[in-house]
Amino acid sequence: MTIMKKLIQVFICLMVTYGANAQETFPNNGTSNPNHSIYAFVNAKIIVDPEQTYDNGTLVIKDGLIAAVGTKINIPKGAIIVDLKGKSIYPSLIDAYTTYGMPEVKKSNTWGVQMNSNIKGAYGWNQAVKADIEAYKLFVADSKAAEELRKLGFGTALTFQKDGIVRGSGAVISLADGKENSLMLLDKAAAMYSFDKGSSTQDYPSSLMGSIALLRQTYLDAEWYKNDKTKKEYNISLESFNSIQALPQIFETTDKLNALRADKIGDEFKVKYIIKGSGNEYQRLDEIKASNCKFIIPLNYPMAYDVEDAYDAKNVSLTELKHWEMAPVNPFALEKYFIPFAITTSDLKEKKDFWKNLRKAIEYGLSEKQALKSLTTIPAEMLNISDKVGTLKPGMLANFIITSGNLFNEKTVIYENWVQGNGYKINDFNTIDIRGNYDFTYGNSRVLYQLKVDGELEKLKTTLLADTAKTPVNISLTGNNVTISFFSKDANGTVRLSGNVSAEPLKMTGKGQLPDGSWIDWNATYNAPIKAEVKEVATGTAKDTAKKTEEPKFGDVIYPFTAYGQKLNDKTGFDRYWTDFKTRYDAILIKHVTVWTNEKEGVLKNQDVYMTEGRIVRIADDIGAPKLAFAKVIDGTGKHLTAGIIDEHSHIAVGGGVNEGTQASSAEVRIGDVINSEDINIYRQLSGGVTSAQLLHGSANPIGGQSAMIKLRWGKSPEEMKFEKADGFIKFALGENVKQSNWGDMNTVRFPQSRMGVEQVYYDYFTKAKEYDAKQKAFAAQSAKAKAAAAPFRRDLELETIAEIVNSKRFITCHSYVQSEINMLMHVADSMGFKVNTFTHILEGYKVADKMKAHGVGASTFSDWWAYKMEVKEAIPYNAALLTQMGITTAINSDDAEMGRRLNQEAAKAVKYGGLTEEEALKLVTLNPAKLLHIDNKVGSIKVGKEADVVLWSDHPLSVYAKAEKTIIDGQIYYDIEEDAKLRESIQKERARIIQKLLKEKKDGAPTQKPAIKKRSLYECDSMEEDYLDEY
Amino acid sequence: MKKIFLILSIVSSVVCIAQNKSVVIMNATIHIGNDSVIQNGIVGIKNGKIVEVIDASKYKVELGNYDEKIDATGKHVYPGLIAPNSTLGLTEIESVRATNDFREVSATLPNVRSVIAYNTDSKIIPTVRTNGVLLAQITPRGGLVSGTSSVLMLDGWNWEDAAYKIDDGIHVNWPRMQTRNWNDNESTFGASEKNKEYEKQVNELKKLFSEAKAYNELETKEEKNIRFESMADLFNGKQNLYIHANNVKEIVEAVNFSKSYDIKHLVIVGGQDSWMVTDLLKENKVSVIVNRVHDLPGKPEDDVDLPFKLPYLLHKAGVLFCLNNEGDMEAMGTRNLPFMAGTAAAYGLTKEQALAAVTLNTAKILGVDKTTGSIEAGKDANLFISSGDALDMRSNNVTHAFVKGKQIDLNNEQKELYEKYKNKYGIK
Repeated sequence: MTIMKKLIQVFICLMVTYGANAQETFPNNGTSNPNHSIYAFVNAKIIVDPEQTYDNGTLVIKDGLIAAVGTKINIPKGAIIVDLKGKSIYPSLIDAYTTYGMPEVKKSNTWGVQMNSNIKGAYGWNQAVKADIEAYKLFVADSKAAEELRKLGFGTALTFQKDGIVRGSGAVISLADGKENSLMLLDKAAAMYSFDKGSSTQDYPSSLMGSIALLRQTYLDAEWYKNDKTKKEYNISLESFNSIQALPQIFETTDKLNALRADKIGDEFKVKYIIKGSGNEYQRLDEIKASNCKFIIPLNYPMAYDVEDAYDAKNVSLTELKHWEMAPVNPFALEKYFIPFAITTSDLKEKKDFWKNLRKAIEYGLSEKQALKSLTTIPAEMLNISDKVGTLKPGMLANFIITSGNLFNEKTVIYENWVQGNGYKINDFNTIDIRGNYDFTYGNSRVLYQLKVDGELEKLKTTLLADTAKTPVNISLTGNNVTISFFSKDANGTVRLSGNVSAEPLKMTGKGQLPDGSWIDWNATYNAPIKAEVKEVATGTAKDTAKKTEEPKFGDVIYPFTAYGQKLNDKTGFDRYWTDFKTRYDAILIKHVTVWTNEKEGVLKNQDVYMTEGRIVRIADDIGAPKLAFAKVIDGTGKHLTAGIIDEHSHIAVGGGVNEGTQASSAEVRIGDVINSEDINIYRQLSGGVTSAQLLHGSANPIGGQSAMIKLRWGKSPEEMKFEKADGFIKFALGENVKQSNWGDMNTVRFPQSRMGVEQVYYDYFTKAKEYDAKQKAFAAQSAKAKAAAAPFRRDLELETIAEIVNSKRFITCHSYVQSEINMLMHVADSMGFKVNTFTHILEGYKVADKMKAHGVGASTFSDWWAYKMEVKEAIPYNAALLTQMGITTAINSDDAEMGRRLNQEAAKAVKYGGLTEEEALKLVTLNPAKLLHIDNKVGSIKVGKEADVVLWSDHPLSVYAKAEKTIIDGQIYYDIEEDAKLRESIQKERARIIQKLLKEKKDGAPTQKPAIKKRSLYECDSMEEDYLDEY
Repeated sequence: MKKIFLILSIVSSVVCIAQNKSVVIMNATIHIGNDSVIQNGIVGIKNGKIVEVIDASKYKVELGNYDEKIDATGKHVYPGLIAPNSTLGLTEIESVRATNDFREVSATLPNVRSVIAYNTDSKIIPTVRTNGVLLAQITPRGGLVSGTSSVLMLDGWNWEDAAYKIDDGIHVNWPRMQTRNWNDNESTFGASEKNKEYEKQVNELKKLFSEAKAYNELETKEEKNIRFESMADLFNGKQNLYIHANNVKEIVEAVNFSKSYDIKHLVIVGGQDSWMVTDLLKENKVSVIVNRVHDLPGKPEDDVDLPFKLPYLLHKAGVLFCLNNEGDMEAMGTRNLPFMAGTAAAYGLTKEQALAAVTLNTAKILGVDKTTGSIEAGKDANLFISSGDALDMRSNNVTHAFVKGKQIDLNNEQKELYEKYKNKYGIK
């Protein structure tokens, strides 16, 4: 007992003195107070690291460091001995992702156009690249924030300024109190990145793909800058960028797909990022695993939804419902997949939820050992501070926590958190744990009461029981002094008792006063621990304990993680790698079907079509049943089979914005970087027979971004959806959108504002690109020696892309409307020596069809859109037919997620408007777009050897009454009208199941949030990222 | 010279409209519009009216005196399609403000009347009637109370001439319970949140309706209020109340609101969620102008074909409904109204039921079914002939169209441009 008292006194000194000790350069006010006290913590269970434990060990610390740890330790003379019998010592935890002690980042609301950075000085061109920010210089200790983290058991944190795409360096900070000088454990600990431009008011980048492009170019520029000895340009941003490259590289992501995107950038520049995850990594585990990245994982589980109102509940998506249920399983899933990860308090709305959430993760399968690793050794290794913190080894910082037992148990109390040898009391371990059941008597009462003391140590909950009557009791404990008061019905007033607690055996005795003022004796003798009472859901503790007995149950991961996603065939929990479900059928045979070949054979009646290994293998009168194991035979009697529909112009399945329209050219951005495999519109378009789509950049600027060609492989990852070996395309745009005609009066700054200017944009960029290309070729042609001697060549991804066009290695899809501009671009192309590949929209194409024919350009148009803006005033529905009749390869596209699923009907209109034959009309949405996209050797017709991308229709494929019954890609069924019916049912069931769970959660008192509709925006040509309305 | 002549002849044909000749259509498949078909029928038109509709397979026909006989062997005759809730004639080029006349500035303007802004010379109208749409309810947009709609013919010298039923009803946009939060940083995709103005907006509506109702019950008015006056027919049952609402709760509120003012004819416009409350709608005799059929489902978990089959769901439940095309590019897209019926037929309705959803049902809802909406003797001769199934784009080909018995010109500017350039390129 005396030791303990001493200790408490020492605490007070310590906190003041230690800090002063550490700063030799500072003047001292008052007498000096050097302190080299030695502490020896004895009789403790010491968890040295996740692998090593001393059941009855000693820990000796001196001068803020661990002096010794083990079982047979000689305690130095003069040591202050702290007896920790029955208690445990763990290393203090490390949070690898905080903004502790950072200044608040303010974003000024600016209106209008800002083309250039507004940061003055010798910085780089883009405001979002804040490589020069150094957290260690910004850090100001914040004792309140430090205390909050210490209370949770943390002793060390990485901190950084959460602002920008490149965020500079983070610092490792001790969570002790004191002068900043003594808290800085590592000044430059890690380089920080994200996709979010943060407080930057500069227009570029306005999209996710813009952020990615900016990062890519920054890497290239930094490399060039490093090698450029001439240093004609001094650039603080690039200088700083280079200086932080040797550090651990941490990339913050807000979604599993963004994690994969970050990893891809890393692969390109040979950087292995540590990825700050978002908590939904379990939804794409295979790809997450394949990234080989380490992760820092938050425990930000969504709050339960209030689903009592059945109508409102419809606003909660299946994705949200399932994620609510499965979020706690994320750490377990990562562990099962052997993905190294640290755990952070980041992203928690309330830091105090940390332990509750971590314990929930453990309940959902996370091992305690992994949890400890993820909070100690793993973050220490990530940040290269394993020599200082994370384990309890001699020479390391005296950062440890004292607990009442197993850190991960619900009832465990963290008593003290020692950081750099400073002890911080969280809960007084002098306090006797008086929780339990007692025999209780007071005064002359002959009744033997039961006193039940329960709840948290800091907040005891006590009840007095006599027969069935329950009386709430106020109890408080200070040291060994206990105070009790309760209302007595018999005495008709409040009984007040004071007394002394003695441990072993646990007993309370003392004196008190009845309401009438008379003094009495009382005592309480411990008889049993508190048991979990299942019935008594009213008290918190009993409920929690009861819950523990149930194994948490949750649904399957579905791919993609949204409605109409499907679970994998043979997945059970996260126990093993999921086997590939790519080949569900070895072969498909469709019998007795009408085949629209799109070839010279025309339409064949009553044919059998055999597909295997992703290809069309045979078309014949009667093909015998396949002898392969998983073969499907489909009766096609009365049905029609066509090639899969190819949407030449689509904006579905794009994440984070479809336009980077902040500059006249954004040739460097790539839709392929931001494919969103989780977009429900993929499935919806499958239901309309679409098998492939070209995902285009928007039309906000004359030179847009690079397109992506995908197959609608619903369920697969973004990379798996890409059309293999497809030629590269790029979006161009002309007319009203690029000159910002319909953007309002604010947008009259960015060049060009007229069709005249649009032409000059092209001449300018193509001229520059040609010069760039010549320089690059000349540079490449030099000998290695000459190259080394020469000034380094600066790769410019924008000009490089445009040069690809000139070299006919990349092809233009150009948004266009009126004849003058169509004519103009063909002239530009002719003068630069290349051909425009496709004019898209091209609603006045019919006016210059002869010129288009002469140039050799194709057309991809709308069937009957017009009059939505001035430049489509003379658009006519006969356009597609007339262009076709002029011998121009013509397609009909959607540019619209809704129309995309009715493209067969749009094609049919070319029969009505202009009298194409039905076969010609069908080609408008199948073979012709394939030709325009240079994939007609693979898809677009039903021909032996081609890829098995076909659609089985219930009726004539051009009829409004036809439904796609089966949409087949690579010989696999991706949409099946019968399966769809089953999926609808399973969605209902899954929703109902989780909703029942949520209702129970609410009843049990969990806080809930009101459901709100989250609607994904649909992109069309004009959509800007900030523009959520579906307008053209 | 030849070219000039050709163009001239086209232009003149636009102006030259056959005047009220009596016409008989023979040997046609007649789609009556009321869910029935005559496979081989005769339709007689005199003085703008349908005078006889005869099943030639059942009755021997004595053809009377007709100025013109049309042999429609293998062809189909349909009632003129009616586009309810339309901005035809109120807009020309969506993005050009000067051409838009469908929206006013104040939140509550029941007295604003679409009919007088209807531009009979809109270049869009001829492209719409070419596909069989012959009547439309021209409807103002915006605000809490957008104004008063009218039913017009898609043919006429001026709006008075084209008017079919003036001021048929008043349009209310029920306040949205949830609005989009533009400042939500957490959701890139625009999370929505509770509309904080909801109560206020509902109260504003209630105030207008209560005051207007009371005003119209007064024997003598202290001072004339044209807003209130414009609502008189609403309360005496002569006008429809159109409440535009999609969310299920908003629909329920709208129905209760209408009931509380004893409104006789409530029509829900939009009704995305109407299938969830069909009992309520039926019980209160509320009909629905269904959201554009060619639309995406509202939520990812919705049935992929929910908008396609919504007409069927209402039909099955016995709710009176019709189809419309409100939304992006609504005016010019009205020419696709028949194909929306086609889609509804692919997803549950029979073809004739689907036809009714753009003809007789619409007429009933708009209160013009006594004179149009079906091919029945005594009604106005608003009808057209198509060489194939008019609900399918594959076969929709309108060869003749009549509005009040007057055969209308089926040419339009788009056809002229087509001819002009075909001619330029020498394509036949």
